[in-house]
Amino acid sequence: MNGFLVSARHELLATRRSRTASILVIVFVALVLASAVIGWITTRTVTDVYEQIRAAGMTSAPNPFSGASPLYFARNSAIYVVLIGCLMAIVLGTEAGLRDRRMRTSDLVLTRPVSAVSRLLGQFAGLGIVVLVALAVSLAASWVVIAAITGGPLSADETLRIVGFGGISWVLLMAFVGAGILGGVHSRHETAALLAPILVWSAITFVLPQVGTAARPIALLNPVPSVAATGGGFDLASAITGPLAITEQYKRVGAYLLQDPSASGSAALAVMILLTVLIGMFAVVGVTSRRSLRRALDD
Amino acid sequence: MTDLLVIAGREIRERRRDPLLLVLIAFLALASIVSVVVAAAAFRTELDAYTAYVSQLLASGSSTPPAAPRLFPMQLLRGAVEYVEVLGALFAIVVGYGSVAAERRRGTLDLVLSRPIGRFSLGLGKLLGLSAVWGIVVISLAVVETIALATVGGASIGLYELRGIALATVVLWLYLVFWSAVAIGITALARRPSTGLIVAVAVWLVVVLILPQIGDTMDPDNQVPGGLFAALQIQRTDELSVMAHFAGFDGVRNAIEVSSIEKHTERLAFAFLGIKDQYNQQPLSAVWADMWPYALTLVAATALVTVGAALTTTRRTLQRRDS
Repeated sequence: MNGFLVSARHELLATRRSRTASILVIVFVALVLASAVIGWITTRTVTDVYEQIRAAGMTSAPNPFSGASPLYFARNSAIYVVLIGCLMAIVLGTEAGLRDRRMRTSDLVLTRPVSAVSRLLGQFAGLGIVVLVALAVSLAASWVVIAAITGGPLSADETLRIVGFGGISWVLLMAFVGAGILGGVHSRHETAALLAPILVWSAITFVLPQVGTAARPIALLNPVPSVAATGGGFDLASAITGPLAITEQYKRVGAYLLQDPSASGSAALAVMILLTVLIGMFAVVGVTSRRSLRRALDD
Repeated sequence: MTDLLVIAGREIRERRRDPLLLVLIAFLALASIVSVVVAAAAFRTELDAYTAYVSQLLASGSSTPPAAPRLFPMQLLRGAVEYVEVLGALFAIVVGYGSVAAERRRGTLDLVLSRPIGRFSLGLGKLLGLSAVWGIVVISLAVVETIALATVGGASIGLYELRGIALATVVLWLYLVFWSAVAIGITALARRPSTGLIVAVAVWLVVVLILPQIGDTMDPDNQVPGGLFAALQIQRTDELSVMAHFAGFDGVRNAIEVSSIEKHTERLAFAFLGIKDQYNQQPLSAVWADMWPYALTLVAATALVTVGAALTTTRRTLQRRDS
């Protein structure tokens, strides 16, 4: 077995043994699952509110949720992927990058016939399987919950959309796994190793969308997207910061896939941006030198 | 008492030398300034759109233009407050964690604990030192934001505005102390310091982001752009009478929201700054009449976690070795 596969298998084993990583994966799966239930309860209540209003003769407008896709129940999943999924990915990546340095086993590992590239990309691939399993379990459970709520299995098109949503979620999370690995490999202190990618995530998730659209920093938490400001330099700012705000790009693709009526913008471009970021992250992790892997922590 | 002050003084000196803290504060200050600049630019864009609309209206012969958008300068601080709520809390956790983890890492903890210090002096001393540090940070941020309001926002800052900023600063200071105390307590209890940091960050994620998000999601008026009731053209009084039939659901939703200390902080800060329209340009007595329960909860929660941090930073927990 070559170094790449051994590293990938070792990473799977180490993640399975890590209690913190396991807790984060379980919390993530539980929240994605809970999002379908919360979405259903809310939609049902809003429909009841609408019926109350209509019965009192206060409106003749149609129910805003009539004809909504069953996938609409899962729309909050995208927010949980951006919040807890990205944090999970960063923690998994940082732990992978730090483990050998913390245990001082880097020298031992690198005495074996394994290159730094195959070691790191093997770890990356191992974590790719962990993230894939977490997403597969959570989205499969969502599928079952939505089917139970709507009283029948989802159609092939809807199932494919959920699979596509899982795929694009995997791309986003793997980009943050890469950021975590880089933090773990290059930082001099454990705290900075975790903090640096979290700072990058904070800037991408909260600051960049505000610069480009004048949205509030925590607009991300709102189920209804805020209206982007236009004119007065915001168009230019948005053109510059938009591609960098990868969590917003991910939410855009997620909204299209989950048939959210408020989806807007080019989903194809957003997919291209996310794939480019992942490939770039893969390349940056791949060019890490042996010397970086062997550097001891100052902690 | 003396040992408590000595530990607090040492904590302040340590943080002053810590480049990480400077990076975090610079990031927060920059984000706050960006937020004021963006909010001011958004208002100018709105004003330009209004002016163009009025010109078109007058050109078409109409003589009743709609009311112009009004700038309440304190409302430009909304984003800055939200940054402290989200990122400030995260940084308070990192700093609180660092104050315990660094001592363990360097082995100075054993040295400090070999001295005749009081049972709770270490935890309380560290928290006292960090409280002073956060005091300096929030005051500095308030000064930076006030300057940004006056220059970029073009606002005239009077006594009313300064009082609001001062009260919001106290609220945000308590909030940051709360999170540092949480981090100190969790890190002291964790067998491995990095586990303490990860657990504390997970708590932050749930309390600051997940709980308010669930509350927002469950809000019936937050389901369609512009609001459900506005979309259905329902008046406020009718809205209240309809929602009275869903008091149970609304009670659960509100309970989820207020179980997060972040919501208490936000409601207080937004009320004192007049960001919430209901409290804008209102006398302090009227704001306080509505806000005192939130203030009480914030103070009580901070006191509770402070006691928790003091109780968990015992010799036994701090000197426990990783197995």
